[in-house]
Amino acid sequence: MSKKNFSIMVMAIITTLFIISASSAESLKIGSMSPLTGPYASDGTDIKNGVLTAIEVFEKQEGGIPGYDKIELFPQDDVCDPRNAVAAANKLINLKVVGVIGAYCSSCTIPASETLDEAKIVMITPASTNEQVTDRGLPYMFRMCGRDDDQAPAAAKFMKESLNAKTIFIIDDKTTYSQGLADGVSKNSKALGMNVVTHDHVNQGDKDFSAVLTKVKAANPDILYMSLQGYSPAALMSIQAKRMGIKAQIVTQDATFQPKFMEVAKDAAEGVYLTYGFTDPTTPEYKAFQQIYEPKYGKIAAYATYAYDSTIALLRAIKAAGSTEPDKIKAELMKLDFNGASKHVKFKENGDSGSSYIAFKVQNGQFVPYWDPAKGLIK
Amino acid sequence: MDSFIQQLINGITLGGIYALIALGYTMVYGVIQLINFAHGEFFAAGGYVGVIFLSFFTGLGYMETHPIFCLTASFALAMMYCAYLAIGVEKIAYKPLRKEARLAALLSALGVSIFLSNGLMLTQGVYDKAYPSELFQGGFNFGIITIGYLQVLIVCLTGALLVALNLLVFKTKIGMAMRATAQDKTMSALVAIGSNNIISLTFAIGAGLAAAAGIMVGLYYGSVRYDMGFLPGIKAFSAAVLGGIGNITGAMLGGLIIGMVEIFGAGYISGEYKDVFAFIILIGVLYFKPTGIMGENIDDTRV
Repeated sequence: MSKKNFSIMVMAIITTLFIISASSAESLKIGSMSPLTGPYASDGTDIKNGVLTAIEVFEKQEGGIPGYDKIELFPQDDVCDPRNAVAAANKLINLKVVGVIGAYCSSCTIPASETLDEAKIVMITPASTNEQVTDRGLPYMFRMCGRDDDQAPAAAKFMKESLNAKTIFIIDDKTTYSQGLADGVSKNSKALGMNVVTHDHVNQGDKDFSAVLTKVKAANPDILYMSLQGYSPAALMSIQAKRMGIKAQIVTQDATFQPKFMEVAKDAAEGVYLTYGFTDPTTPEYKAFQQIYEPKYGKIAAYATYAYDSTIALLRAIKAAGSTEPDKIKAELMKLDFNGASKHVKFKENGDSGSSYIAFKVQNGQFVPYWDPAKGLIK
Repeated sequence: MDSFIQQLINGITLGGIYALIALGYTMVYGVIQLINFAHGEFFAAGGYVGVIFLSFFTGLGYMETHPIFCLTASFALAMMYCAYLAIGVEKIAYKPLRKEARLAALLSALGVSIFLSNGLMLTQGVYDKAYPSELFQGGFNFGIITIGYLQVLIVCLTGALLVALNLLVFKTKIGMAMRATAQDKTMSALVAIGSNNIISLTFAIGAGLAAAAGIMVGLYYGSVRYDMGFLPGIKAFSAAVLGGIGNITGAMLGGLIIGMVEIFGAGYISGEYKDVFAFIILIGVLYFKPTGIMGENIDDTRV
């Protein structure tokens, strides 16, 4: 045996030993799926940060999961692109994760969940509000946020009853989420007797909305309803609308619920209304989340809270099941009944956990709860 | 009619921005026959350098006392930064490949583009960065028509830069050297023109103009983000091709046409088809006149 061969052999033995010793520390694998690059990278990063916070809190305060040294997260980047989402789902299946938190875009959650469901992996979406996410009857699909067919009527009712609107101009940017919601708002508004003047579309990634806003100005509606994916285009459109002197009241939706919206749009954000699930920031659960999250990642944004609750729900179900068998985890998920940071968590038969949409108003750079469909104005 | 005039103003503003970016594509192509796909990233980097300096000046309080100085300084610094960035990119990624097949440099350009855009994402973060908003808000109102101060600024500044570039290229010794290098590198070397310097200069000027466009976009739209270079880069590239790649006047004209077509397509037909219209015009022109609108005298006026 030559010297070279011998040294290679020794190295091979040493590496093998290391591999063995490394794998003796058992970790529970979970996955997350959200856009970490591309136009929705900020919203996707919020989700990942929420999941990481939940793992940290669960390990510290609930002692982790018996039989495992730690909980390991495999964050996947789907770029809000259905093809990447399916590829990410396959990768997570190969990694043998026990559950997946994600995705952000409905257009990703829908195809990725089909793939994960075949492998019997539980998926909880913190952010995809399109009805089709849970309406397909997939057994392992759960949802922490609300549904668009609850959000659209709430928005329409708000515009009619609180803002006394008669005419509405709707703009969406043609994603599964934004267009689905815009169609819902259009239908519900008409049903309530309001007039939808125009329903126009823009493209994802557009920065210049001057052409469509000129149309809005000419139409002079009571309401400009913006259904755009993410806070970034919403901020740009608000700025441009203000600069053009558009008098219509801007109403928008849950994707804009991001403190960055006010940071970018500044004055133009003031007085904008939006619908989002009601979260009580005074509960001890929310404060526990806030304490860990904010020093590390900054102000709590859009879907971080739902991502946190989704992860806590998944980990509690795994712990209660005492195994990683999908059907046992599902059974435990259905039994869960606890106060989360975002809301009270109790899954229904179809995997939904209920909606609690209210209208918020931007005041002094804050989202202030403004109107509740059940109770009217919030004092 | 009122909306028509408003849309016309919107179109000129957008077209001016495209024209400024398109110049970089066309100048570089004129000199070394390379489509510099990293050009959109210079535009984004310019926007970021601008926001960094403007926020810095605002923080010091100079913005209120000396607004013109702060703005000029930010523009100058951003343009210089991007000029040096472009020279560096050229030296590292394109110069070693200049003698290879053209495809090699093209792939290198794509690689640089991805590298710079992800570099911006990693250093500046995935969130939008807001421009200080007190600058030039408001505008002139004529009935329903609104002309923002920023739109006026963009159009004037774009016009001034375009005139300056034309003077540089067609009226100075440096411009003559650039045109000579574009026509024949060996021959111009024989009459003592350093082609390497001229190529560097071309990259620097193109990137400087893109940086100016980046700041204007940041001021106009209120924010910048790391991936902002991609779409305008593609549109400006189309504008350069539409005008006749290699032709400076063509690039300006192409930028204006693409901007107008987009705005009028979105304004009078539907917002979702605006990119479609822009590219239909491009395909149409290329089909009937493959050299582009101004692409005829490609040999003597190209840079």
